[in-house]
Parts: sequence; structure tokens; C-alpha cells
Amino acid sequence: MTLAELWVQQLLNAVSIGSMYALLAIGLAMVFGILRLINFAHGDLLMVGAYVLIYAVAAGIPFWVAFLLSVAAAALLGVLMERLAYRPVRGQHEVVLLLTSFGVTMLLENSAILAFSPRTRPFPLPEALSGVYHVGHVVMSGIDLAALASALVLLVGLNLVVTRTKLGVSMRAAAEDLTAAHLVGIHLDRVVLAAFAIGSALAGVAGLLWAAKSGRVEPLMGFTPVLKAFVATVIGGLGSIGGAVLGGYLLGLAEVALQAVLPPGLTGYRDGFVFILLILVLLVRPHGLLGKAEGDRV
Amino acid sequence: MVGAQNRESREGDHRRGLDDVTGMRKRSAARGRLAAAALLAAGVLLLTACGGGGGGQAGGAGGGSETGGGGDVIKIGADFNLTGSVSSLDVPAFRGAQLAAEEVNAKGGVLGKKIQLISYDGKSDPATVANITTQMIENDKVVAITGFTDTDSALAAGPIAQAAGIPFLTTGATSPKLPDQVGDFMFLVPFGDNVQAAAMAEFAYKELHAKTAYLLLNNGYEYTHLLAQYFKDRFTQLAGPNSILLEDTYEASDTDYSAQIAKFKALPQKPDFLFISAYPDEVGSVVKQFREAGVTLPILGGDGYDTPLLTQVAGEKADEVYFSTHSYMDPQNGTPAIKAFMEAYKKKYGDYPENAFAAMGYDSVNLLVDAIQRANSTDPKAIRDALAQTKGFQAISGEITYPEGKRVPQKAVTIIHVVKGKLTLAKQWVPEVVPAP
Amino acid sequence: MIERWQARVRAMSLLAGLALLALALLGLQYGASTYVQRVAVDIGIMIILTVSLNLSNGYTGVFSLGHTGFMALGAYGSALLTMTPQVKALNLPDLPAWLAHVHLGFLPALVLVGLAAAAVALAVGYPILRLTGPYVAVATLGFLVIVHIVIINAQAYTRGARTFLGLAPLTNLWWVYGAVVVTIYTAWRIVNSPIGRAMLAVREDPVAARGAGVDILRARLWSFAVSAFFTAVAGALWAHFILAFSASSFWFAVTFEVIVMLIVGGLGSISGSVAATVALSILSEVLRNAERGVTLFGYHTPALYGLSQIVFALVFIAFIVYRPQGLFGDREFSLWPILARWYPPLREAVMAGRQLAE
Repeated sequence: MTLAELWVQQLLNAVSIGSMYALLAIGLAMVFGILRLINFAHGDLLMVGAYVLIYAVAAGIPFWVAFLLSVAAAALLGVLMERLAYRPVRGQHEVVLLLTSFGVTMLLENSAILAFSPRTRPFPLPEALSGVYHVGHVVMSGIDLAALASALVLLVGLNLVVTRTKLGVSMRAAAEDLTAAHLVGIHLDRVVLAAFAIGSALAGVAGLLWAAKSGRVEPLMGFTPVLKAFVATVIGGLGSIGGAVLGGYLLGLAEVALQAVLPPGLTGYRDGFVFILLILVLLVRPHGLLGKAEGDRV
Repeated sequence: MVGAQNRESREGDHRRGLDDVTGMRKRSAARGRLAAAALLAAGVLLLTACGGGGGGQAGGAGGGSETGGGGDVIKIGADFNLTGSVSSLDVPAFRGAQLAAEEVNAKGGVLGKKIQLISYDGKSDPATVANITTQMIENDKVVAITGFTDTDSALAAGPIAQAAGIPFLTTGATSPKLPDQVGDFMFLVPFGDNVQAAAMAEFAYKELHAKTAYLLLNNGYEYTHLLAQYFKDRFTQLAGPNSILLEDTYEASDTDYSAQIAKFKALPQKPDFLFISAYPDEVGSVVKQFREAGVTLPILGGDGYDTPLLTQVAGEKADEVYFSTHSYMDPQNGTPAIKAFMEAYKKKYGDYPENAFAAMGYDSVNLLVDAIQRANSTDPKAIRDALAQTKGFQAISGEITYPEGKRVPQKAVTIIHVVKGKLTLAKQWVPEVVPAP
Repeated sequence: MIERWQARVRAMSLLAGLALLALALLGLQYGASTYVQRVAVDIGIMIILTVSLNLSNGYTGVFSLGHTGFMALGAYGSALLTMTPQVKALNLPDLPAWLAHVHLGFLPALVLVGLAAAAVALAVGYPILRLTGPYVAVATLGFLVIVHIVIINAQAYTRGARTFLGLAPLTNLWWVYGAVVVTIYTAWRIVNSPIGRAMLAVREDPVAARGAGVDILRARLWSFAVSAFFTAVAGALWAHFILAFSASSFWFAVTFEVIVMLIVGGLGSISGSVAATVALSILSEVLRNAERGVTLFGYHTPALYGLSQIVFALVFIAFIVYRPQGLFGDREFSLWPILARWYPPLREAVMAGRQLAE
């Protein structure tokens, strides 16, 4: 393997991990933009989605139908979360909202342990995704390609929805200024619901990619991805969709770069450096790379 | 008691004006100490009431050793983390233990009595683990305890059993240091990590004629660290101090190993094989990702690989994987006892065992029952002595003998070779030199 | 007259409280099973954690998610100070010489790790506490993750991911409840001092507080440091009680647990923290025993492991949604209304005092 190939390979690795992080981060950012809620339970959406897929495939439903079912289940759960837990506390202090989502996480994870048992199960990867593609010494797996492709398609699609549809414009208006949006007749509940549904569906897709990559499904699997998405959102700017995408790819890049350059004794500190970076970003640009300062709302 | 206060404060929005808050605070200046004391006293009373419900008479924990076997059942503690972070390993072990207890009772029990497993959930939290261990000893009067697959929990529970003089047989914690760290009532069902790591190092050097290795380990667990360390000790002893070409780590939370793989592929000199010290949950995806990147060299590992996830996730990409484990668990080619166990487990729980710990849980209960039988008594001390004298006990996970004065079993290491996505028996190995625990 | 009355009753109730506590502890020590004693120690440690978290999160509006990091510091730090050189040589062979030979008593170790944690809190807090709202929570969460990673990697000091062991069982009921009394007393003194009032002012309205000349950062740093001190002490007590632990013992589970107790008790109420901790700890013990399956009217319920955490989560959500101010709001449990009801002269005295104040 030549040095150039190594670089290309590492870059591809970073982009494919980054795609997953970006898809996860968007949902967090959309919801935060409108409600100022950091939804810690975002990770449990992908856990539930993955279980739905496992049970559906086990019941003999073809993978791609099961895939759609699972994404729909994630979206539905997101909407339910909003209705049952987050709507009653809407408008309260950000910390209260964050704590509510902690409660939802505790509830969902422990319910999943009870309902699905804590044992680790294999992810039923379809034939179509288990291929490996070589260019010279550079290698991409089917899952990596799927992550890249779905991120591309979904990001373009999301961009169209946000800029071209009435719903999307309402969402951006609500994120910009909730009161003003309400005054010009935007139906807030509908916008919030849409944000949860879309963000959760994206989390569902990311979750399946995550489960496919790790090969396993278990009740606590949502914790790591939500932590990563959380870092990505904060780096990019809480509440900014573009920032979430940027943050996701930057996080992927930072992780791969650190793993590549740190000497053996220090690779263990990789995630520590990532979090130091996070705190530095917060101190220098509290609203992230692409976030806007919001003056009186803080 | 506090009702009157609550009603007042309900109106109180927590964004009350500054003057009001400080003024009020001055007025009702904290007499929280008294409240604390009163509530505590009430709490203690309540707790004593519930704690005592299980028949826990205060005080006499040490003396009443006959009580555990006194009734028509013999109580054995099954100490596991049924929820929380370690539960994916503990639940299969617990299931194995339950299956064994059912089978023993179906055959009429031991010493003419049925056995009863007493279980609480340790919740993967050391404080809870310590509490439930105390509870089963004190309130339930178990005569022996088996449980746990991780050293954290085994070390939180073991000393409590030791102090109470109750034998503790760990199901799956493989640190060979445990018995010395805890005391003479602590026993291991599995062999120590030093034995399996030495076996793999010797196997690589002598059977695969390998002279150089790449070492990758999960940074997050005692098991993965110890296994890697013992392997390194033994392999560098055999092949020379520079025989490990690169050592790398990944985090327990990682799902993508591409950065490590790229680093491996950039090595100027290719090693003869890879030793990857992985945790059961991720073995499948680690192996798969290395294979997908075009690495076809043999991959070696420990008993963490003994999970269906290896072949379910990696499929034929798991070929040329060698791993050490306790016995050749194959529903088709295993011994009759193994086949019977696999089928019974599948019948009861719907699937073949999730990992090697299921068999270990099964063996733990059977070994304790055997010790009770041989001791011909339910006295914990007698059971301990019988356990220590165990010779040639036929367990699913291999033959168990505790050498004189040692409480880690002497067992041959089974080495499995994956061929065409199927596990085959490569070798039974007894290492010549075992690194000191 | 009234002041003397109040002072006398206050002193008496303090003494009575301490006497009652001592009595309860004696009762526990000689009349209770080891299991109940263990639970009582757990509860005491949780009280210290909750009250000290309240000092930071409840009184200044800085919501820290990183306190478990200070707890870890207290646990590992105190262990390194109290372990004998022989034990250290066995378990931590790579320890630097100056630390390998240190061997301190329990009390100096507790105080030292508390001070060390307070120093770390000042250093970390100085940049972080300038942030507001959710950003502080995010940054302190980052602190916890960094501490976790340092523990896993600083193998010479912590044994890395491996189980840390070799501590002497120094913690007992008396140490824990001694520390509980000191913590509550200190918290109460701080809350009722000028600094405490400055802290509250910062929580209620940072802008107005700044206008009134309160140094916000200083008030926040103070509360953060004191809170870190006691959290570390609780960590040290916990370590010398559990005796074997690892990095994963100081992670999100315990963080959430303390936050639940804090919220249920009420941000800004010390007695609320105490009451919620005692009540929820007992509830969770009872549930933990019940989830194994209970026999009710001849019907045996199946074992539902994890049920206690589910109920815990539901209680938490219910409080956040329906009673975000917690059990006590930011008020304190007070004997006055009860005493006043039973003893008319007192009521009159209080009324007179109130009129005087107005």
C-alpha cells in the first residue's frame, strides 16, 4: 500500500463514518433548532428501529420492506416521544428539557431490556450490502458505500424539503423565531411533529447503518451513537442543520486522523482529545461553527 | 409531615423574584438536619421491615450455617447482573445455571433435597452487587454462591462471601489472580486468562510456525487487557522481544476499525498473524472488517470469540480464525453431553447458547451440586473443602481439577479453527509455560 | 425576645437532630442486619452526592453533568493515599516513587482529595462556567468523558480498565453520617451566607444580579468548588466501602441517579435532597426485591428484572412534567409551622415577629 493510497483510504474511512454521524446529528439539530431540546433519547430511536428490523426479518418479511418498517417505527416513536414527554414541558428551560430526555432514555432502555432481553443479537445483513469493492489497494465495504449514498440522497432530499416546501419554510421560520412564526400563522405543533418525524426517520436509517457496521443489536446500543451525534451537533452549532452535517464529517475526520497519527501509547486518549476539542469549540464559538448567536434567548 | 409546606410552594414558580426567595429562605432557614434525621429514622424502620421480610434475623449471619440446608430445599445463590452494561454476558450464564438447577431437580435433587437458585439483579453496579450478595447470604442463607462473568463484580461480591465463609464459584471471570485477591473461598470455573493466552502463543509459534505478530486489543475491559498482556509475555518469550510488530487499541464503544486496519496495512513488514483481544460483542465485526480490507492472515483470539456472533456476523470471512476456549461446543459434532446441553438450552430459551458463558453457568451449578454431594453436607465450609478437592469433574466446558492449594482449575485449552464458516476442533493444548498470574 | 426564642429552639433542634441521628446509627450498628447497614451507608453517600450537586446545580443555575468525574477523583485519589506501600507495590507496580510511599490516615486523605477536587473544579470551572444554559451541561459532560478516558488510560495510577482493588474497608456508618452532617451543615451555612445569596441571585436572574454588583463567575466558581469537594469526599467514602471498582463505576448510571434524586427533591432545597434521596433509595431497594416476583394473594408474579429502573424513570418523568420544582421546591423543611400549631405562645411570637419584620 502506497502512502497516497493510505491517505485516500483513511479519507474514505473518515467520510463514511462521518456520513453516519451526520445523519444522526441532523435529527438532534432539527429538534434543538425549534424547541431548544437536546434530545438524549435520540439514540434509543435507532435501537428500537433495529429491533423492529430484526423481528420483521425473523417473521419472514423481505429485508427492504423490513427496512422501511423500521424507519417508520423510528419516526413513529419520535413523534410519540414528543407528544407524551416533550410537549408538556415545551417552552421550559433548556436544562429541564434535557433532563426530560434523560428520563425518556432511562425508560426506553430499561423497557427494551425487559422486552427484548439484554442478550446481543446479530444484525441480519442482506447479501446486497455484504460486498467489498477494491480500487488498487483502497477498499470500501458495501455498508460504507451505503452510508455514503444514503447520506448524499437524504441530505439533498432534506435540503429540498427545507428550502422548497411550505413545511420546510415553516420549520426554518420556527427555528429562527418561535414567537414571530406563531404570529404569522405557522401551526407550531405541526412543525414540531414534522421535525421529530423527519429527524427520527433519519436516525432510523443511521441506526440501521450503525447496526450493520457493528453487526449486532442490543438494548444499550443507542448510547454511543447519540454521544457522537451530540458532539457533532455541538461542534457544528446546536440547532443548525448545516452545522450538524459539517460537525458529523469533522468528527469522523478527527477520529480517523487521531487514530492514525497518535503514537501507540496515546491512541487510548483519542476520544479524550475529541472532547477537549468540543470544549474548546464551545469556549471560542459557543454557538458552534455554523450556529448563530441568539442574543436574548440564551 | 411536609404536606403543609408543599401546598405553599406549589404556587411558587422557581423563577420567583430575588427578594422573595432570599427573604423566605431567611425565615424558614434550613432545619434540614432534623428533617434528615427523622426521615432517615423512618426510612431505616421501613427498610428493616422489608429487609426482614425474607427471614433475615439480625445478627446471626455467621453461626447459622445449617439453616440454608435445613428446610426441604438447598439454597444456592445465583449472583448475576441481569440488566445494565454486563448483562449481555451474564444473562446467558444465568440461563445456563437455571437450566442446570432444573435438571438436577428433575433427577431428584441432591442429598434428597431440591435445590433452589436465589437470584437478585446486580444491575451492573458494584454497590448493588455487594448488597445483593449480602442479602442472599444473610436473609436467604444460601450455602454457596455462583455467578458473574466480570472481575469488577466478582471482586465486589467475593470478599463478602469470603468474610461470611460462603464458597463463591465465579462462572466466567477469567482473571487468574482472583482467588489470591479474595481468599480461600473463591474458586474459578474457567481456566485463567494466562493459560489460554499461553496456549495460543505456543500454538501460533509451534503449530503455525509464526515468528511475528500484530496485537490489537479492546482498551475497555480487564479481560481484554489481561489476555493481551499474557499473550505478549509468552509470545515474546518464544519468538524474541521484537516479535510484536505493532500494538494498537480500539475503544469499547467503537464499531468501525478502519483506522486501525489502515495502520496495520501500512506496516512495512507483514506479521505472520494477528492476535486480537476482543470482547464477545464485537468479535464478529472486528474480524469481518479486517477480512473485508483484504487481510487474509490467521487471526487468533481468546474465549471471547466463542459466540455465534462470530460466524453469524462474519460468515465465511471468519475463516482462518483460531481461538482458545473451554470446549468444542458443537450441536452436531460435540460429545453427547454437549449435544444434550445445546438442545436443552435451545428448547428452553429458543436459541443455542449466546456465548461460552451459558455452558459455564450450567457447569457452575452442577459443580456445586457435585461438591454438596461429595461433602454429604450443606455446611458451607464442608462444601468449600469438597470443592477444593474436585478431581476430574466432567463439565460441559472441559474436565475440572483443582490442583493442590489452587482454586483455578487445571484444564486443557481447546483451540477452535474456523473453516468455511464452521467451527472445527484444531487442537487440545496444555501450555508448557504459563505466565505468572 | 423572639430572636432568643428562635435561637434557643434552633440550637435545641440541632442537638435533638444530632442525638436522634446518633441513636439511629447506634440502632443500625447493633440492631440491624449487615444488609440494612449497607443500604444505610449507600443512602448516606447518596445524600452527600445529592446535596453537594444541589449546591452547584440547584443554587447557581449552572447545571453540571460532570460531577461523577469529581467522585471518581475522590475514589481513586483517596485510595492512592490510604493504601499501604506493600499493597501498592503489588497492585500498582508502576506508581511513581513519591506516591508509592505515601500512606495517610482516612481523614487527611478525605480532606486532601476534597481539596484536590476543588482545585480541579476551579481550574475546569474558570473557562467552562462562563457558558450558559445547555452549553454548561454539554461542557461538563465533556469533562466527565475526559475523566473517564484518563482513568482508562492512566494505567500506572488507576490500573486502567482493570478492576482497582486493595483498599482497606475504612468506611462505616459513622464516617458516612459524620460526613453527611458536615456536608449538610456546610451547605446550609453557605446558602445562608452572603455568598449563598449571591449564588441564588445568579440563578434567579443573572442580568439583574450582575447589575446589583454580584460577581457571577466568582459565585459560580465558589459553589462549583465546594460542591466538588464534597462530591470527592463521597467518592472516597464510596471507594473505601465498595473496595473494588473500575472506570465504568463512575459513568452515566450514577450521574443519572443523583440527578433524579436532586430533581425529585427540588433544586435549591437541601432538605428536599435529603428526603428524596432517602425515599427513592428505599423505594428502589423495595422495587429491586419485588421485581424478582412477589406472591400476592396466592398468585406469583413473574420476575421482571429492570422493572425498578423503569419505575424510577417514570417517577422522574412525572416529576419533571408535573412538578418540576420537586418535592420541596426551593423551600426547606421547617419545624416552625408544626411547633406553632402545637404551642400557641410560639405562634403568637412568630406572628408578632412577622408584623415586626413587615
